[in-house]
Amino acid sequence: MNGLFQYVPGNSPLHRMNPVTKILLTLSVCIAAFLTDNLFVLLFLLVFDLMIGVAAGAARKAFSIFKGLFKVSLFLFVLQVLFIRRGNRLFWIVTDEGLLTAAAVVLRLLVVCLPLALILTVTQVSDIANAMVQVLHVPYAYAFTLTTAIRFIPQFMEEMGGIMESQTARGVEFDSKNVFKKLGMLFPLCAPLLISSVRRTGATATAAEVRGFNLRTRESGYKRYGFGLVDLAAVLISAALIVGAVLIP
Amino acid sequence: MICAEQVSYSYSGGGQTVSDLSFRIEKGEFVAILGENGAGKTTTVKLIDGLLRPTSGRMLVNGLDTAKTRVSERAKQVGFLFQNPDRQICKNTVREEIAFGLRAVWGKQEEEKIRARTDELLALFSFRGDEEPFSLSRGQRQQVALASTLAVKPAVLILDEPTTGLDYRECTRIMEFIKTLNETEGTTVVMVCHDMEVVLDYARRALVMAGGRLLADGPVHEIFRDTALMEKASLLPPQIVQIAGRLGGDYAHADDAETLSGLIAAAAERRRA
Amino acid sequence: MIELQSLTFRYAGADRDALHDITLTIPDGAFLGIIGPAGAGKSTLAHAIGGIVPHAVHGDFYGAVRVNGLDTADTRLTDLSRIVGTVFQDVESQIISSVVEDELLYGLENFGVPREEIEERMTFALEEVGIAALRNRTIASLSGGQRQKVAIASLVALRPKILVLDEPTGELDPSSSRQIFSLLRTLNREYGMTVVVVEQKIMLLCEFAERLAVLNEGRIERLGEVREVLGDIAGLEAIGVNCPRSARFSSLLGEKTGQPVPVCVNADEAVEAARRVIG
Repeated sequence: MNGLFQYVPGNSPLHRMNPVTKILLTLSVCIAAFLTDNLFVLLFLLVFDLMIGVAAGAARKAFSIFKGLFKVSLFLFVLQVLFIRRGNRLFWIVTDEGLLTAAAVVLRLLVVCLPLALILTVTQVSDIANAMVQVLHVPYAYAFTLTTAIRFIPQFMEEMGGIMESQTARGVEFDSKNVFKKLGMLFPLCAPLLISSVRRTGATATAAEVRGFNLRTRESGYKRYGFGLVDLAAVLISAALIVGAVLIP
Repeated sequence: MICAEQVSYSYSGGGQTVSDLSFRIEKGEFVAILGENGAGKTTTVKLIDGLLRPTSGRMLVNGLDTAKTRVSERAKQVGFLFQNPDRQICKNTVREEIAFGLRAVWGKQEEEKIRARTDELLALFSFRGDEEPFSLSRGQRQQVALASTLAVKPAVLILDEPTTGLDYRECTRIMEFIKTLNETEGTTVVMVCHDMEVVLDYARRALVMAGGRLLADGPVHEIFRDTALMEKASLLPPQIVQIAGRLGGDYAHADDAETLSGLIAAAAERRRA
Repeated sequence: MIELQSLTFRYAGADRDALHDITLTIPDGAFLGIIGPAGAGKSTLAHAIGGIVPHAVHGDFYGAVRVNGLDTADTRLTDLSRIVGTVFQDVESQIISSVVEDELLYGLENFGVPREEIEERMTFALEEVGIAALRNRTIASLSGGQRQKVAIASLVALRPKILVLDEPTGELDPSSSRQIFSLLRTLNREYGMTVVVVEQKIMLLCEFAERLAVLNEGRIERLGEVREVLGDIAGLEAIGVNCPRSARFSSLLGEKTGQPVPVCVNADEAVEAARRVIG
């Protein structure tokens, strides 16, 4: 979870691409995935995702995200297969339509999730936020919410780890196999975590105000996000993906 | 009581490691672990507590291998007071907070016993049972955390920078409490502490660490007087030990202001006579 | 210059004043340490200088605080922060960005510092604070001491006249604590920044601060040169403030020999005093 949103520095074309283009590319992949029902197109999109991961120099990460999603997908797949009653029965209660629909749903999930995770690997959140404000004219307050939320994820995890450790030290057994028992144990932890988070939010707001939160305008950003050839290529690819998804039946 | 046999530990994600630690701590000792940040002090106390399990070697507490002991079993033996009480406190009243740790270790069937022990601790620390922990000051919250750690009467008490963020009076109160516990109940105390004055006042033995290894092990006074060792571990001895050491001769062994000033006044007196 | 005039502040819902009738003048270029037991009002005082009290904290505010002649109650927090930079006790919550460079950029961008100047100011702050090598690191990968330095650098980049710090070494080990104070000394001496620091570690204050204010129950109990304040050990201990052992030693030595022994604030001075007595 922690490593999933972590930026990995690099100098690949994807790193250099304008953050807005990256959002466009991500969204195009998602839209294409929802427009098509063709399994081959979906498979192509999945391969495309993984290739992007490789191009970003984050192949291992892309595959590990893929692996992580795989378990969830498998569960979803079985669930779909068991519940879809339409179509011709192949064996037991499994129908052909069930299999096809389940495969499409699972592939779509993979295709959509991968780039969403990957974009954070190749882009700093502050760049996404700044570019959104500069190029897309998103109000700064929204961008700020996004960046601080991401900023506090590692801290939240650190705090959670510390709390679990403190509680383990006094004899609370988190290594229980029973999921419900474990949830019941984690629940009391929410109190200290919530209190420390709320306390921090107030202080963070003040810290931002003190350093001129209210003065910030669209032009304030120091870094400029230009469009280059990579961006042009990405825009063309995005268009091609969507058109392909619509045209291929 | 505590026996480390060539214990090594390395974090899977990298970070500070400890290697080849061997030491014995007997029942009733008051031991401080010294060293600069990243020396491996906190890792060492977590290994003693069983929060971390050695990657190689063995850590025995009360004859039990920490790697093979259940969490609740270990929590009966070893209490751990962390730097930050807010990670521990999770109940709405002081009474519930103290009882929470007891329930985790004794089990819910022992309600009668838990109530009695909670009352005992509330009286001992002069807390009001219905007080909300989060309305208390940091020092008081640290005392609540200490009370609930001590509730199960652990044979070993581990303190990881227990006085961080406390003022002088709060710090003294916590430390005096632990001192009494060590002297009257024979609780073994192992403490990580950056304040050398506190170490000098309360601990009797010190383990010095640097770069994940044990540099020295001995009585606190001797450790502090070893200037070469102190420098190697990037530590600054307590002021009076520094002063006494530099005056040398008969004065070198004084380690509190009272004794040292007495010796010097006597010498001045003799010279005048 | 910082002027507090009969400042009284009571947090909303509290049953006593956090600060009571405080009058204090801190001249430009001063290095003032504030010490006192928990709940004495140290943080409130620190926040009052930067205008966070009363602007971002609810409560009853009486009296006046002026920095560089501006009344903090009538000046926007954003405008005040061009003069006063405040480092919070919980430095974690103060850092807004995920990357060191962005954290420094934040204030510079917002205050509309010209683009040509931004790089220069950023390099200056990073180098002065000694974290140039950390420029592209993520905050999550830094140690406590390094995060503290990032917070300070992000303020130094804005070039405030006054720097206020609330227990900057609370969670740090002795050597990182000293590094922070050495840094404050440099900023104070070389760039004439006024430094006001709340600190529990009396030995650090003895070594680095010029003047000391002792706070208790919302009032200033002692104010003066460090040595002067440490002259009354019994009084300080009654308030709940620890004294360096060297000062206790010098006072005991004076008592026992009946000779005047100057207040010693560090080991060097104590050794010298002892040698003089022994002869």
